[in-house]
Amino acid sequence: MQYAELQMTTNFSFLRGASHPEELVTRAAELGYTALAITDRNTLAGIVRAHVAAKACDTRPITTKARELRLIPACRLELLDGPALLAYPTDTEAYGRLSGLLTTGNLRAEKGQCSLYKNDIYASAKGIKFVVAPGPVLDERYTVKADFAAAVEEYRQAFGSELYLGASRGYRGDDAKQLYRLAELGKRLETPLLATNDIYYHAPDRRPLQDVLTCIREKCTIPNAGFRLFENAERYLKPIEEMHRLFRPYPDAIRRTLELAEACRFSLDSLQYVYPEELTTQGRTPQEELRHLAWEGAKSYYGQDIPAKVSQAIRHELAFIEERNYAPFFLTVYDLCRFAREQKILYQGRGSAANSTICYCLQITFVNPTKFDLLFERFMSAARNEPPDIDVDFEHERREEVIQYVYQKYGRDRAAIVATVTQLHYKGAVRDVGKAMGLSQDMLDHLSKARSETGEGWLEGKGFEAAGLNASDPMLRQVLALTTQLMGFPRQLGQHTGGFVITQKKLADLCPVLNARMEDRTNIEWNKDDIDALGIIKVDVLALGMLTCIRKAFALAREHYGMELTLANIPQDDPAVYEMISHADTIGVFQIESRAQQAMLPRLRPECFYDLVIEVAIVRPGPIQGDMVHPYLRRRNKEEPVEFPSKELEEILGRTLGVPLFQEQAMKIAIVAAGYTAAEADQLRRSMATFKAHGMISRHREKLVSGMVAKGYSEDYANRIFKQLEGFGSYGFPESHAVSFALLAYISAWLKRRLHDVFSCALLNSQPMGFYHADQLVTDAKRHGVTVRPIDVNFSQWDNTLEEKIDGVCAMRLGFRQVRGLGEDEVAPLLAARAPLEQERAIGECGSPQERIDARTGFSTVNELLDAGVTVSALEHLANADAFGSLGLDRRRALWEVSALKDHPIGVFAGQPSESAQEGEIALPAMPLPEQVTADYAATSLSLKAHPVSFFRATLDQLGIWPIERLRAGRDGEAVKVAGRVRVRQHPGTAKGVLFITIEDETGDANLVVFPNIFEKYRKPILQSTLLMVEGKLQVEGEVIHVLVKACHNLSSLFQQASLFGNARNFR
Amino acid sequence: MAIRKPELRGKPVVLSAKERNRVVITAASPEAEKEGLFPGMVVADARALLPELIVVEDKAGRETRLLQGLGEWCIRWTPVTAVDGAGGSDGAGGSGAGGSGGTGSPAASGTPGAPERPDGLILDVSGCAHLWGGEEPYLKEILRRLRAIGYHVRGAMADTMLAAWAVARYGKGYPIVAVDGQAAALGALPCQALRIEPATAERLQQLGLARIDQFISMPRGALRRRFGAHLLHRLDQALGNAEESLTPVCPVEAFTERLPCLEPIQTRTGIEIALQRLLNQLCGRLQQEGKGLRTAVFKGYRVDGKMESIGISTTRATHQANHLFALFEIRLATIEPALGIELFVLEAPKVEDAAAAQTTLWSGSAGLEDNGLAALLDRLAGKFGTGVIHRYLPEERYWPERSFREATDLREMPTTAWSTDRPRPIQLLPHPEPIQVTAPIPDYPPMLFRYKGVLHKTAKADGPERIEREWWTDPGPHRDYYTVEDEAGGRYWLFRSGHYRDDHSPQWFIHGFFA
Repeated sequence: MQYAELQMTTNFSFLRGASHPEELVTRAAELGYTALAITDRNTLAGIVRAHVAAKACDTRPITTKARELRLIPACRLELLDGPALLAYPTDTEAYGRLSGLLTTGNLRAEKGQCSLYKNDIYASAKGIKFVVAPGPVLDERYTVKADFAAAVEEYRQAFGSELYLGASRGYRGDDAKQLYRLAELGKRLETPLLATNDIYYHAPDRRPLQDVLTCIREKCTIPNAGFRLFENAERYLKPIEEMHRLFRPYPDAIRRTLELAEACRFSLDSLQYVYPEELTTQGRTPQEELRHLAWEGAKSYYGQDIPAKVSQAIRHELAFIEERNYAPFFLTVYDLCRFAREQKILYQGRGSAANSTICYCLQITFVNPTKFDLLFERFMSAARNEPPDIDVDFEHERREEVIQYVYQKYGRDRAAIVATVTQLHYKGAVRDVGKAMGLSQDMLDHLSKARSETGEGWLEGKGFEAAGLNASDPMLRQVLALTTQLMGFPRQLGQHTGGFVITQKKLADLCPVLNARMEDRTNIEWNKDDIDALGIIKVDVLALGMLTCIRKAFALAREHYGMELTLANIPQDDPAVYEMISHADTIGVFQIESRAQQAMLPRLRPECFYDLVIEVAIVRPGPIQGDMVHPYLRRRNKEEPVEFPSKELEEILGRTLGVPLFQEQAMKIAIVAAGYTAAEADQLRRSMATFKAHGMISRHREKLVSGMVAKGYSEDYANRIFKQLEGFGSYGFPESHAVSFALLAYISAWLKRRLHDVFSCALLNSQPMGFYHADQLVTDAKRHGVTVRPIDVNFSQWDNTLEEKIDGVCAMRLGFRQVRGLGEDEVAPLLAARAPLEQERAIGECGSPQERIDARTGFSTVNELLDAGVTVSALEHLANADAFGSLGLDRRRALWEVSALKDHPIGVFAGQPSESAQEGEIALPAMPLPEQVTADYAATSLSLKAHPVSFFRATLDQLGIWPIERLRAGRDGEAVKVAGRVRVRQHPGTAKGVLFITIEDETGDANLVVFPNIFEKYRKPILQSTLLMVEGKLQVEGEVIHVLVKACHNLSSLFQQASLFGNARNFR
Repeated sequence: MAIRKPELRGKPVVLSAKERNRVVITAASPEAEKEGLFPGMVVADARALLPELIVVEDKAGRETRLLQGLGEWCIRWTPVTAVDGAGGSDGAGGSGAGGSGGTGSPAASGTPGAPERPDGLILDVSGCAHLWGGEEPYLKEILRRLRAIGYHVRGAMADTMLAAWAVARYGKGYPIVAVDGQAAALGALPCQALRIEPATAERLQQLGLARIDQFISMPRGALRRRFGAHLLHRLDQALGNAEESLTPVCPVEAFTERLPCLEPIQTRTGIEIALQRLLNQLCGRLQQEGKGLRTAVFKGYRVDGKMESIGISTTRATHQANHLFALFEIRLATIEPALGIELFVLEAPKVEDAAAAQTTLWSGSAGLEDNGLAALLDRLAGKFGTGVIHRYLPEERYWPERSFREATDLREMPTTAWSTDRPRPIQLLPHPEPIQVTAPIPDYPPMLFRYKGVLHKTAKADGPERIEREWWTDPGPHRDYYTVEDEAGGRYWLFRSGHYRDDHSPQWFIHGFFA
């Protein structure tokens, strides 16, 4: 007995289908189906997953029934002017037409919509089989509705014998009548009946979820949803025998499903992806061109005398690339990088591409192959039969230029960004479900927070009491059960951060294209995994803030120090840089600036570049969860012998002292020690990384552990390796990636050490990025001897700038960008009016600010600024930021002046003294320093005048509270009291509920460690304080100092007394 | 809040309301404020600080209603009381009630919170204080009584409303401002005490002019240019140089009419006359105020101290004396005058707004709008009891028992149409009744069924229509409904509860009859 289900709505019809494509396919395989079609609404987004799952069913012996299961790519076309049609392409050309049809509809409409009309379908119907989607078609007198009959007749004329009439049995009470009438209509129009079950979920117990989805879609609650819900749970994948029984009076309708399935032999496997062929000069083939460029590049690096190691690598790589015909791909990436170089946009290739010498020669990556052992196999290998992956980071402020270059060069019909399927996570899911179930807003907030506070087991109902909820409340249980099911559902198609798919012919032949939310962007419907599965190559155009910072630093270095720096010519292996890094003096340095990294640096004490590579890779959730950090440290500090369980593992783990730290190492272990094939190892990594791995993990655990035991490793060791692998899946770094990142870390550290003024200024101008706030960066700059000058209407630019050198270091002038709420366009008139004055000033270049004022080369009254076209509100912002210093106006005086500007004489009276000028001098109360600091923070998030904590030093001294600086002199285990402003409160997922707090006083930062029991006890002071005092025990480990907190006190009242941050909302 | 619900007393409680996608605290109990919570805080943050916090959803108008009530209660102290902030008080120079010179006005208020919500009462005490022995005992007595009820109150008394307002909320010293002593009393208060816009207050603070005495004597021109006329106007109001008005609270009178009789009434005619007269009075008032009654009680107090009463209710709000009289008339016989009735009272406990207040001479509208229909229904209900007449409205539910609801009011409109696309019986049994059937499995209609001892043979059948339960409240098996016609031509709505399973066969029921 056979039957093919040809109408299945998956959860890629957002808020309609209640099962993943994989679930439907797996269930179908269990039931012995041999052909299936997924018909999501106006989209093909889910078919690749289904296709992959269907192929996996072939080899998986799940039931004895399983035969080959074939997925027919298909789609439900919702028309604006007629009944919906199910469309099944029979061959590649027809598939291209269907995809093109959807593209047309997508590009016509807003994101997330698709506008299609009958005539569109008629125009591209060739080779496509159509089924009129079943639905309630009877009127009150039990005859087929006239407009439906007319529409079918029209379809029949357009599609001829390619058209079927869909019929389903929904147990709606009038099934028999419906089928009878449809059969009648079919006979009249010579359009045969075809059975479907109009599937929305793979099993009937998904009905509640489907109802909830309906409520989310319709924005109503379950009790009010009424007829918007389905009345029963019959829309599940039924056994084949049951379908035969339901359609017993119409056996032909069942037979035709097989007939149609047989006619649609097109499979996604037969999609031919063709990479664009061009990008050559002088009539070379792509391979010749690549060869030419590679050798040219090598020559430019090494001169005529190319080292043997390099030339050998180039030859090896070229041969491999030729075999796989990947040359065009390399040329594309080369072309993007060339464009960026021409536009002076900084970029760096990262990821496994850094293992390629050719990428180095093409100036895609900057990891010098003579200095590292690069393993090209880790980038691409014959065993891992997958397309190469070259990620290129560009400056985040200018990446859009590169993206538009791609669109321009290939055209919108040939290039588009890969999609990202946004999945629902706990918070979103519980909110959606809770709202549909009618929970109060307050309860929703509570629920969405409760899980992260309670941690594991929450979804199984643990920790309810602790969260103040009633564990036996059936409603809550339902909400959580539904939330569990909903988690991992796709919610929308976003765009990938920068992955481009580029094709030789029209992209729409491959996959529907749609408008992205951002203007001027288009993307395809498939995500990274989907295109990987189909062997489609993508080019990654990514953004990195640090590159922006470095580019700005290079520009400043050129301007003020006459240095021509590039990513490649920064002096390597500067001992002073490593010295600085070893002292964890890394605020602002790429990747190694975080609290966790800073705690690691003095322990690891990097001395060479490879140490930095390890540093970047080791402080990651993967290695931390896998418990690899401490073994590595012990071995490095020679506290533990470096041992290898076997010779074969020594080869893999030698560089990292026997501890697997990189993703490739983990995968290699699986291959070498557990007998995985390369493809399996990669599948293992992927299944670890996917959000919801559907029980795959335990299968892999068994396989890996038993494989390793069979090869003579201890079970304990095997389990440890598996655990490490588990961590890597999502959070590990490949080595080459770490190398690329380490390079940027080194460069930024070099800038910080050698040109601190330049680095600080560039960093501030690239905000927001990194871990630190502007005030911390400024404090850091001051600590390193940079003079920081206040914002001033006469001297500041929009960006922060460097001024003349004091003792060989440039002073930094804060720019208007630091003023909260002030727009760049608002200060433009100010800068424009100042320009002529600046030229005048240029004559007396190098004068000190005061000299320039004396020379009257700036604004001298507030009115001049207003005349220059600066708005009153901008002036208020400037006054609040205390930017009128050079006019001799303090903050209050300036504000007083500015607030009188509304009666500034204009028109014919312009230039006359305003009424306010005749006011007598009114004495305003002087602003005490603490209030000034508060106002500075309110306006610019930083203050150059004083650190807020410094006002209470005397009080704190009396209380026996140490300045944070003094902790460095403390002994391990000593009892201490410190106080400071709370900067960061962190609950890292890897730390088992331990809270890390960073506090700051005028002398430095302190890292506090709060264990869960202490947190519970001092929840209020910890969460409420702006000025936190803690008592605790000092933990000194070399240069790494922590305070293990025993008690906390809220000293914020001190701030309030001094009217510092009196109003908490003024201060962030 | 704590007064109504004693269990909340002594616990941290906040009221919450939605504000731009966040739930924020609108008011906090003293216990909650002690824990550091304040109005304007996001509830979720507050919860993080204080997991045991009790959050009550705020309802719009809660304060106004409460203050209105308190204002009425305060009429014992002075004839003119007003809710602060509820209209009127932003008087733009108009002469308000009792606003002549020498007015003393204490303002009682809760904690100084967000300025835009009504949070205080204003009493015009001109000429009242001496009755309680002077201003100080007077104010003390008012505050003592309010505190005794359980309110947290602050009060102050001054020559101008604004000065009293300011001192009540921000003052720290003696709450009674001496005559013409406003400037001195206000000097030390923060600028917000002038009831100015928050933006102005913020600007003043930025300039270091946080206290009123820091700017009160500045040149008016300089202030006006920077802070606008509003600040000056407020200053004038506080100092008594400009007027401020208030809208007094007027108490609502209950819809009750009394008719004392000179001699005890014993006859039906007498009672009828009394009823007629009371009805005329009451309906006149109702009509004037645009109301109609839904229930009315007619009471007669007898000479022997007993009380007789009859009640009626109507299907729609009405003030038609004739109709009401007719309704009462049916019951009138049940009143036993015994030795005589000396006082008649007519009360209307349930009153609603009535549309089209005019008594029409002829009724032109038809259907539910027809007054005659309402009158007929009232009379029928009066005769046979209210449980006899039902009106059903459709509900959008699949589950048959929940697919309708009973209307309580004749004017109630259905929110949805009766769905006609599925077979539904004319008569639905209140509860499905079990039947015995012979039916083929798994889901075919019965061939025979026995209902109330009678065997029916199925001639024709349609179905099944499978209806699942509303899983969110009601777990259990689905029903498969069949429309069945027996050989006698009777048509029935039957269902089977759940699937046939190996171990047991499901029960069948009859649920309704078709025409």
